Amino acid sequence: MTNLLDGLSLSARNDIFSYITLIIRYLLPIPAVVAVARCAVSLLRRGRAGETWGYLSLPNGARIQLNHWENIIGRARDADVHMAYPSLSRSHAAVIRDGAGVWRVYDLDSKGGASVNGAALTPGEGRAVKSGDLIALGSVKLVFVGDGGADAPRDGRAARPRPPRPWMALVFLTEFQLLLGTQACIAKADALTVSVPASFAALIAVMWICYALSRPASGACFEIETLAFFLCSVGLSITASSSPGTLWRQTAFLCAGILLYCALVWFLRDLGRAARMRRPAGAAGLALLVVNLALGDTIFGAKNWLQIGGMSFQPSEFVKIAFVFAGSATLDRLFAKRNILLFIAYSGACVLALAMMRDFGSALVFFVAFLVIAFIRSGDMATVFLSVGGAAFAGFLAVAAREHIAARFSSWGRAWDNVNASGGFQQTRAMSAAASGGLFGVGSGNGWLKRIFAADTDLVFGMTCEELGLIIAATAVTAVAALAVFAVLSASAARSSYYAIGACASASILVFQLALNVLGSTDILPFTGVTFPFVSRGGSSLIACWGLLAFIRAADTRAASGGFGRSAESDDTD
Amino acid sequence: MIRIKRRAVSVLLLVALLMGGLCLYIARFVSSGEKWASSVVNRAVFSDGMLATGTLTDRNGVVLAAWREGRVFADDERLRRASMHAVGDMSGGVGTGALTSFRSRLIGYDFINGIYSREGTGGEVALTLDSRLQTAAYDALAGRRGCVIVSDWLTGDIVCMVSSPTFDPENPPADVENDPRYEGVYINRAISAAYIPGSVFKLVTAAAAIENVGDIYERVFECEGSAIIGGEAVTCTERHGSLTFEDALAVSCNVTFAKLSLELGADTLARYAESLGLTRRHSIDGISTARGRFDEAEDGSADLGWSGVGQYNDTVCPAAMLRLVSAIANGGGAPRLRLTERGAPGKFMPAASERVMDKETARRLALMMSYNVERTYGAGNFPNLELYAKSGTAEVGGGEQPHAWFTGFITNEGHPFAFTVVVENGGSGASAAGAVANAVLQAALDE
Repeated sequence: MTNLLDGLSLSARNDIFSYITLIIRYLLPIPAVVAVARCAVSLLRRGRAGETWGYLSLPNGARIQLNHWENIIGRARDADVHMAYPSLSRSHAAVIRDGAGVWRVYDLDSKGGASVNGAALTPGEGRAVKSGDLIALGSVKLVFVGDGGADAPRDGRAARPRPPRPWMALVFLTEFQLLLGTQACIAKADALTVSVPASFAALIAVMWICYALSRPASGACFEIETLAFFLCSVGLSITASSSPGTLWRQTAFLCAGILLYCALVWFLRDLGRAARMRRPAGAAGLALLVVNLALGDTIFGAKNWLQIGGMSFQPSEFVKIAFVFAGSATLDRLFAKRNILLFIAYSGACVLALAMMRDFGSALVFFVAFLVIAFIRSGDMATVFLSVGGAAFAGFLAVAAREHIAARFSSWGRAWDNVNASGGFQQTRAMSAAASGGLFGVGSGNGWLKRIFAADTDLVFGMTCEELGLIIAATAVTAVAALAVFAVLSASAARSSYYAIGACASASILVFQLALNVLGSTDILPFTGVTFPFVSRGGSSLIACWGLLAFIRAADTRAASGGFGRSAESDDTD
Repeated sequence: MIRIKRRAVSVLLLVALLMGGLCLYIARFVSSGEKWASSVVNRAVFSDGMLATGTLTDRNGVVLAAWREGRVFADDERLRRASMHAVGDMSGGVGTGALTSFRSRLIGYDFINGIYSREGTGGEVALTLDSRLQTAAYDALAGRRGCVIVSDWLTGDIVCMVSSPTFDPENPPADVENDPRYEGVYINRAISAAYIPGSVFKLVTAAAAIENVGDIYERVFECEGSAIIGGEAVTCTERHGSLTFEDALAVSCNVTFAKLSLELGADTLARYAESLGLTRRHSIDGISTARGRFDEAEDGSADLGWSGVGQYNDTVCPAAMLRLVSAIANGGGAPRLRLTERGAPGKFMPAASERVMDKETARRLALMMSYNVERTYGAGNFPNLELYAKSGTAEVGGGEQPHAWFTGFITNEGHPFAFTVVVENGGSGASAAGAVANAVLQAALDE
């Protein structure tokens, strides 16, 4: 671009550039809002796509559908198979299919007892059943009809709607990326390096390659990934503005994140395999924290960095993935109280380790994720809170609430009274810069907030507002919120509670972390210094976000097995 | 799974926290964005705590202040000195200067675009001031302490606002703090000071008398040069003899107005001082004027008599007096004083004018002010001016010369100007302040 304009005088060139910026900043929100809105609407409308995996036939000939891999049978209204027979207990038995297609029946400590083909079950024991087997629950007799073990539900797929023209959102997103890239190049003008256009080109290429590769497998569902790519585009623009020297690295981190995503989506497809990872992943996560605590470096007040071979990374980001692995559980594990107690102890250890690292923000994120997981698993908030939450949190505060954190709380909400003190310096700059951007921003690369410490990480919301405007910043926040709502909706159709819990835990981490980032930098919550998922510059955070996204994708039953890596032949039946 | 599904809804609490917080942020962004962007922390528009963008001009586009790699003021040194208070100085010492008060407009902030502009030059604010009148008033004050404020009495546009002492903002004197010549130099006397008004306050007493004393025009007042009121002497400069109400104002007879004050009562006078706007603050595009003072003296006391002729504890801000004479010119409606072409952004426009007195009262006062010029001030001293005026010679005590006031308006075709001039320790109002007013108004007629 600079070569093309060589013939022009400097001022004429700057004049042309300024007009291009003027146009781009008004155009930019349009493709952003359209792309995100298309994805969000599609996700929210179709999040409940249900499946039928088998039936229970009653003596009177009625058939009851089994819509999940894990079904509770009982008299309770919220049982998956609800039957109002007095001889049934409220939660009488569970019928559970594993990843290999084997169905088992469990007696849930029922009063009337359960039997398969006349052989009584002992509580806690799972008895395999196949189509045609007779299950007796108290005085109720049922004939089981399973799905035969194929990797496809018995029914319901045909009814599953496909999003109309999913590539349209990608086209809009590409337009957004091209405009963003053009503006990023213009802002650099004479100091333009090849890394700026190249990283935007790479982003667009990677996005379309992912779409092309996943298309046959995912049944053309690409909204989740599209939203993530939108956020990454905003993040790339931030990096190009604040730290163009790290663009290559940031692009590499993006690719690494996508690879992790693909690997995890593939890995999570097999429920048995995924469930077996629970302990190893959890142990690895805790070990990582311990190593961090022992060998970590203190950078900017928190000892949450680890140097390995010249590369520094934040282990706590990856521990989030391990935490989700450890927290998710199949339904059969939820019956044993011992399991939740183990998880509570594990969470306590993680939060304590983070607090000792003085990583206040991450500790809070883990704690909230723990609350969500514990509640979904037990359903009993009072117990969860009273037995551990209070004690753990009090202990955590005692460790964590040292001087600077206490100072952050004391200055909370009064940033403008502490303009040049630690309690308001960053927030007032973020808000002032954000207001300078108005609705449309001053143009990528034209802001000043990037000169403030942590502008492209902790204050990235302010920087996004300044350079890209409030509309795009709010759209980015909404994109994450849409992912979370989708995770909640998909829980109702998820095959296993493992997927539902994993998706909800990941969504909680992403949403709460975003809330801390956005509201902390704008003085609505205390400033804790956590990252904006997918947008903040930095490798560990970006890669971990893609990892968490895989759990949300895994709960998506619209694509036969969710995301990348599904074999082509099973799509033929579609 | 249904139970899991129901419990999963708890995640929506977090989503609600996020989106609720975002909405709160957006609400604050809308309501406080202007404040945030105009904050001195904004490095895009401030440099070392100094506003580093925007252009300030007079009504004709003459640059009064701009940023060209550094702060620059008007080209003409006299204009720089004349406008130092209206514009503001480099150090921010003048708190009411346009560079401070119109900051958000100078940075070019608006909610849609923030501070973005293609040229990146910030905003341009045109003041209603006229450079020619600024220098004319500066010259006429000739270094004496005091102020000149002139406005269009139809629109409220302030076309001239000069305060003295002053200095060249481009070359500020070395020791402003300790040099007695610069004592109180940062105060814009036209809007931020309140002086003892002396006889200009008789306009208030006259308005009250017109509306409250039934036979005011039939009465004949006797002035022996002094009168004993409440056991103390209230004195005039000379013995005025028999006077009508109009004559009493024209010769500014203290005895007559002191007696009228006692008849009206302290509470009535206080009410008029309030309703005519002398004891209130006024907003000039968000810049607050000084509040005047009127203490209710004891009924029947000499103090009450003196308070009715603008002495005792009375003080008046020149801008408030300007607003009062504008209302008289306007038939009773006081225009909202303005210093820029439009009102401060983000505020609802208040009514353009506020009725402060009856049309008939205003007409009577105007006639009397015209008679003042004819009988006392001498039309010949104000050539070509259709002048309506009242002088004031405010005793300040301490052996110092009285403050000279001259206020009023002209009705010359195309030049509807109201004015207030104060020359501190200037002596006689009509001659000292009147001459300054004449010089500025002649310059205004020259256009």
